[in-house]
Amino acid sequence: MIITDPRQPDNPIIFSNSAFSDLTGYSQEELIGRNCRLLQGAATDMTVVQDIREAVRSELSIAVDILNYRKDGTSFWNALFISPVRDQAGEVIYFFASQLDFTHVMDRQSELAAARSAAEKEVVRRTKDLRDALEAKTLLVHEVDHRVKNNLLTIASILKLQARLTSDETVRRTLRSVLDRVEALSTVQRKLFTTADVERFDVADFARDLATDVVGALKRDDIELSFTVSPVLVPAIKASPLALILNELVGDAVRRGLRDGGGKLHLCVERLNGHFHIEVRDTMQQQDVSREDQEFSRMILATCARQVSATITRTQNGCETVVDVELPVDSIEEDWKS
Amino acid sequence: MNILIVEDEALLALELESELEAAGHTVVGQAMSSMQAKALADSEPMDFAFVDIQLLDGPSGIEVGYHLREKGVPYVFVTGNLKRIPPDFAGALGAIEKPYTMNGLENALAFIERFVGGERRDSVPPSLVLAPWLEATL
Repeated sequence: MIITDPRQPDNPIIFSNSAFSDLTGYSQEELIGRNCRLLQGAATDMTVVQDIREAVRSELSIAVDILNYRKDGTSFWNALFISPVRDQAGEVIYFFASQLDFTHVMDRQSELAAARSAAEKEVVRRTKDLRDALEAKTLLVHEVDHRVKNNLLTIASILKLQARLTSDETVRRTLRSVLDRVEALSTVQRKLFTTADVERFDVADFARDLATDVVGALKRDDIELSFTVSPVLVPAIKASPLALILNELVGDAVRRGLRDGGGKLHLCVERLNGHFHIEVRDTMQQQDVSREDQEFSRMILATCARQVSATITRTQNGCETVVDVELPVDSIEEDWKS
Repeated sequence: MNILIVEDEALLALELESELEAAGHTVVGQAMSSMQAKALADSEPMDFAFVDIQLLDGPSGIEVGYHLREKGVPYVFVTGNLKRIPPDFAGALGAIEKPYTMNGLENALAFIERFVGGERRDSVPPSLVLAPWLEATL
């Protein structure tokens, strides 16, 4: 603390204690007779100095934070409190000033501010990195998707072109048989990327489109098609085997129906008691289609069923063939709608 | 019908041509770029066109589409990316999404034949995504 005398010219220090000397580096001898402005320095805020002058002139108390300088030129943050001391007549005879060095608090604050600003910059940088990476990934996915689609269609085109060109009926049938399966996979690729959710595949939607397209292209009104379907979403990884299973079942029914007077084809895709249930029910005449074709189709069916842990049962009631496919639903698939 | 094919993948164009000819149509030209397409649209009389969006000179199929609309030629887009199509479908009747199947293409073609022939009460096959403006009128 110090005491100044406002009645002397330039309001000099008339008393200082040892704590003040410890804080500022000036000895008591050096301080007495001097104005407090000796503590000001290059970075001292002059508006604060002006506030102090104003308070002193108006004989009021004031508490301010001010950057002061020691004798050795180092700075410190001073929580300064100045108060006038009056005599019995109310005349101001002294000013009393106490100082508190709070430099460490200011350091801490500027450290925190610096750390915050550094962290903010880092967040901005990483956000940009992430955004760039996401953009690159999206671009890559679209590019790959575009190529896969084009390649699948090119493969199909090659098969169709040769099937059209050949005069050998067996070759033509074989190419058509390959084409049929390639197209089932093409349709999976197409449907996977049209929906908002690229990780889910709607088996019901696929089944409906497949059967509608197959039967529609036959241009025969003696094959009657009906559906009982509700959305059944499965993970994308199961899309291809399930699409091939449906393709074989619908294809088998349609191939049999092609021979004679057609019949009814009913397709059911639903969730049932914790299972996915696919049922293909038809009244096509039982025919001996090509043994080889049939065996090949059964092999694809059995293999794909094994891949997705599905069980397939085929029952024959007179002229009606019913094929049931049951798939267990695991917990991930269970909560698709929630 | 006299048909124009705008497609930069030669094998796809060739196979589409075979398919269209097998169905009794005449392919009046194949274009791989928007310039070729517009030149053919100006010089050849045509009843219909199949237009891919991604061509040799970029995603310029849309531009070709607007040109065809001005000429009064009905057409559909054939594309792997439906999201590229503007909201007005550039005047196209609809789009066939790649990779289409043989059955899907046949059904879409049958619908188109009937539509161009004046039929308006037909059910739309799943392989043909109808333009919103057309959907509203059907």
